[in-house]
Amino acid sequence: MVEKRWFPVVYMFTATALVSSIVLGLTGFTAQRVKANEKLTFEKAVLSVLPDVYDQSKKISGLELHKIFTEKVSPPDDSSFGAYLFKQNGQIAAYALPIEGQGFWAPIKGIIGILPDKKTITAIAFYEQNETPGLGAEIAKPQFRNQFKGKVIKDGEKPFTIARPDVALDESSVHAITGATQTSTRLEAIAYNDLKNWQEKMK
Amino acid sequence: MSRSSKKSDIGKLASEGLWQNNPIYCQVLGICSTLAVTNLVLNTIVMCVGLVFTTALSSMTVSLLRSFTPRNIRMMVEVLIIAFYVIIIDVLLKAYWPEMSGNLGPYVGLIITNCIVMGRCEACGNSNPPVMAFFDGMFNGLGYSFILLIIATVREILGMGTFLGFGVPYFSTPYWDKWIIMVMPPGAFFMLGLIVWIFRTIALPKESK
Repeated sequence: MVEKRWFPVVYMFTATALVSSIVLGLTGFTAQRVKANEKLTFEKAVLSVLPDVYDQSKKISGLELHKIFTEKVSPPDDSSFGAYLFKQNGQIAAYALPIEGQGFWAPIKGIIGILPDKKTITAIAFYEQNETPGLGAEIAKPQFRNQFKGKVIKDGEKPFTIARPDVALDESSVHAITGATQTSTRLEAIAYNDLKNWQEKMK
Repeated sequence: MSRSSKKSDIGKLASEGLWQNNPIYCQVLGICSTLAVTNLVLNTIVMCVGLVFTTALSSMTVSLLRSFTPRNIRMMVEVLIIAFYVIIIDVLLKAYWPEMSGNLGPYVGLIITNCIVMGRCEACGNSNPPVMAFFDGMFNGLGYSFILLIIATVREILGMGTFLGFGVPYFSTPYWDKWIIMVMPPGAFFMLGLIVWIFRTIALPKESK
């Protein structure tokens, strides 16, 4: 029995099959929820960069959030080049441009809100990032993100700068996070690329 | 086994896991995750809960299977069991607590490689009844947790001026110049070194030189 040579092989196979099927079952069972969570995180990020869509100091449920999103935000069309549109009375009130690129550990994905003048930033939000907790991951905190409000995308080589914390700021720069140089430079590069591309296409 | 002796056995397991044979400062296991997750208290708590859950249950499962498992493949089976529980945590976090899952990122998966889990399966699960193995795993997990929480509390307060994300009086005001190095990896080494030194001095006064 236990001494038979094939026993360990069969044992291992059975154990693996059993365990894998439980895990697969659980993954299948939660798959929809996980997907819905991801979608909701994205929608929340989009809404949070648009001006005056909803009161962000209040906590609202995922369902309400989704409802606001479907009511107020229209998906990118031919003239917006990838940016989501927020319309009021038929007029475009703001763009929400998804940005994406390599962070320090994993891709950073975020949204930049831009006014109809195509150069004033309303806000920034991130819906996917895996930066170092406590350091790079601070980009997702309000302290960092609030700096972006009202900043202007410049023409030219460097449309936007994330400066060292001891440097004076101008209308197109914000302060980086101390101790997270890599995240900051990479985020800056992502913002350069995507903002420049988008502005060129929108001209 | 009579009831009273069982109770004292559990007491013994508790003092071993939490104090006399603490996984961090005596066995010096699981150091990698100690350094990685302790810069914020909240992340540490979730990591600790995950680890206590995994160590206790995997040790118990190994113990339940100990008379069937062929000895030559026992480590493969242990890894399988540990991975099973860790994936369950990961999936549940993703589905029901996505923010935390995002915060912890790859750390949850890394519980699998935490030496404490396998160490307890090997040292206790393999040769003890399931209840003993469960409590042994749990107390070792808790022993790990309390050291981690001490480290995380000091790091977060000195480095960010907060505790669990809330401002701490004095430390979150401009009077306190934040020690950024405390939330960076080197800070963890300093703290861990100090903690191991302090606790070994208190807990093991008669350590042979």
